[in-house]
Amino acid sequence: MDAPIVAVENITKVFKDQISLPVRALTDVSFQIQEGEFVALCGPSGSGKTTLLNLIGCLDQPTRGKVFFDGEEISRLGQQALTRYRLEKIGFIFQDYNLIPTLTALENIEYVLWLQGIPSAQRRKRALVICERFGIAKLVTRRPPQLSRGQQQRAAVARAVIHKPRIVLGDELTANLDHKTGTELMDFLKELNREEKITFIYATHDPMIMARASRVIRLEDGQLVDDLRQY
Amino acid sequence: MFLLKLAILNINRNPRRSFITVLAVAVGLAALIFLWGFSDGTIERQRDNVVRLFTGHVQIHTVGFEQSLSPELVLKDRLGIVEKIQSQPHVVTLTERVKAEALIGTSQNSRGVLMIGVDPLREPLVIEIREQVKEGHFLSPVGNREVLVGYRLAEKLGVHIGDKVVIMTQAIDGTLAGYAYRVRGILHTGSLDLDELSIYTTLQSAQELLGLEKEVHELVIRLTSRAAIPGFLNAVKKTLDETPYEILTWDDIIPSVNQWASWAEAIIRTILVTVTIVIGVGIMNTIVMSVFERTRELGVMMAIGTSPAQIIRLILLETLVLECFGVVLGVIAGYLVTFYFGIVGIHFYGVEEAFSATYMSTVTYTQVKGIHVIQSILTLVAVTSLIGIYPAWKAGRMVPVKAIYHSY
Repeated sequence: MDAPIVAVENITKVFKDQISLPVRALTDVSFQIQEGEFVALCGPSGSGKTTLLNLIGCLDQPTRGKVFFDGEEISRLGQQALTRYRLEKIGFIFQDYNLIPTLTALENIEYVLWLQGIPSAQRRKRALVICERFGIAKLVTRRPPQLSRGQQQRAAVARAVIHKPRIVLGDELTANLDHKTGTELMDFLKELNREEKITFIYATHDPMIMARASRVIRLEDGQLVDDLRQY
Repeated sequence: MFLLKLAILNINRNPRRSFITVLAVAVGLAALIFLWGFSDGTIERQRDNVVRLFTGHVQIHTVGFEQSLSPELVLKDRLGIVEKIQSQPHVVTLTERVKAEALIGTSQNSRGVLMIGVDPLREPLVIEIREQVKEGHFLSPVGNREVLVGYRLAEKLGVHIGDKVVIMTQAIDGTLAGYAYRVRGILHTGSLDLDELSIYTTLQSAQELLGLEKEVHELVIRLTSRAAIPGFLNAVKKTLDETPYEILTWDDIIPSVNQWASWAEAIIRTILVTVTIVIGVGIMNTIVMSVFERTRELGVMMAIGTSPAQIIRLILLETLVLECFGVVLGVIAGYLVTFYFGIVGIHFYGVEEAFSATYMSTVTYTQVKGIHVIQSILTLVAVTSLIGIYPAWKAGRMVPVKAIYHSY
């Protein structure tokens, strides 16, 4: 078996602030994900799905335990290294799409390439190619408020994958979409997963979306209760 | 360019708020340019007044005369000096004077004064004295034993045009000399001191009174401009044996004008810093609000790989763009207002005496000096950018995961 792309070892996350009592979001969670897997993190609200995604996505650090990416421990890296990791190896798809409202769809998609220092002409070319593939080529000059939810989500996915990340993390990425658009999006992500070998990890509590995953990791009250591979 | 574009687009999210901020910068800067213009115009006018009405650009005396006014300290080799001075660059013309402490009196009253003997033909070419005669006439070239007195002295002595006064002074031989003179004109010089403590008579009358032959105490030189003074002094140093002479510029004779100018500049610099801090706080408020409203968006930007340094640069750029728009508008408005008042002038009424005490005119023509405009812009940009660092730094310190789930 190949080395896992993501390995989570005995992770515990406790949220503390000065006002309320400490909240234990994750308790002693461990699992490994191989490159190219299409993984659904599921569980009821408050089960720790988003917290786990944030830890894998280098957005947060565990209270205890370790997170490995490609064999390198990332849970103790500094801010600068984490930023670099996020930029080069990870793509994010958010529930609310979270496109930059002042930029056009095309500029939103090429933003990550700009962060990577790719010259203007080159990034524009790559962004146009991906827009064509995602079926939003005719919408590139529109700003997010001028796009439908489905179109915004496609643009958000395009932004997440344009730099060819190793993994893409999605948080309730179909929650704001109707059934048909949600299904289309998942089919599209599955296609990307197959063709580009991008590893997808997404949090959901929608059974239909769960059913599309090759593996389902179930969390309850911050603990891993099930890890099921489906074919 | 991409970051700049993003900064401009961000500023345009709330056009009204941005416009108000730009307007605050513009009005503040325009006010500062006008204030500098007003101060520079006033001070330039003061300097001009001193040169045009009182001192000329440069005066030459025998060493010690300006302090002691001793009648025997006449200019040595007068004709030689005059010839050398007239051949110097930048010299327009010059005139000779005799000066002495004297007592002027009527049958009822007497006052100690500075008697100035002037050449009635040459003096008006150097000093605008003819225009200062508000009653009666200026000294006649052929007349003798005529005197011009300041209006304040005339009031104190109770004399009018045509009245006789007696002037007494110590002659060069140490004896007390005195003659009767007729008041030919009343002066309003614009200087309270001169109007109360000085009298003018012809050079010839003064020489007679003091027992001088053709000797004089002072050369008053008019140059092409004040800017020509350093060049003139350098040239004079090369051609004139300076040892027995005292070469004084208008600023050496009346230093209070430049002292006043320094004081005024210090006040304006204080106002400049205060105004820029106020503007800076206004800009900071706009940027803080803008950052707060975009907390989630900035969190997402960081999540997808934007570094804290890039976030800081973006916010600072937004501050700078706001400043730039404000600066352009402010410079245009400031120039226009200052230019307008530079033509029509700003008139002050009922303050003649107070103003004249400091050689000021009752009309100020504002003047734009590039160096002061640049100083204002640089101070404004420096102070506001410095203040703008705070919201930028705060934005850069955001924790992405907290910012993404931030709720308002």
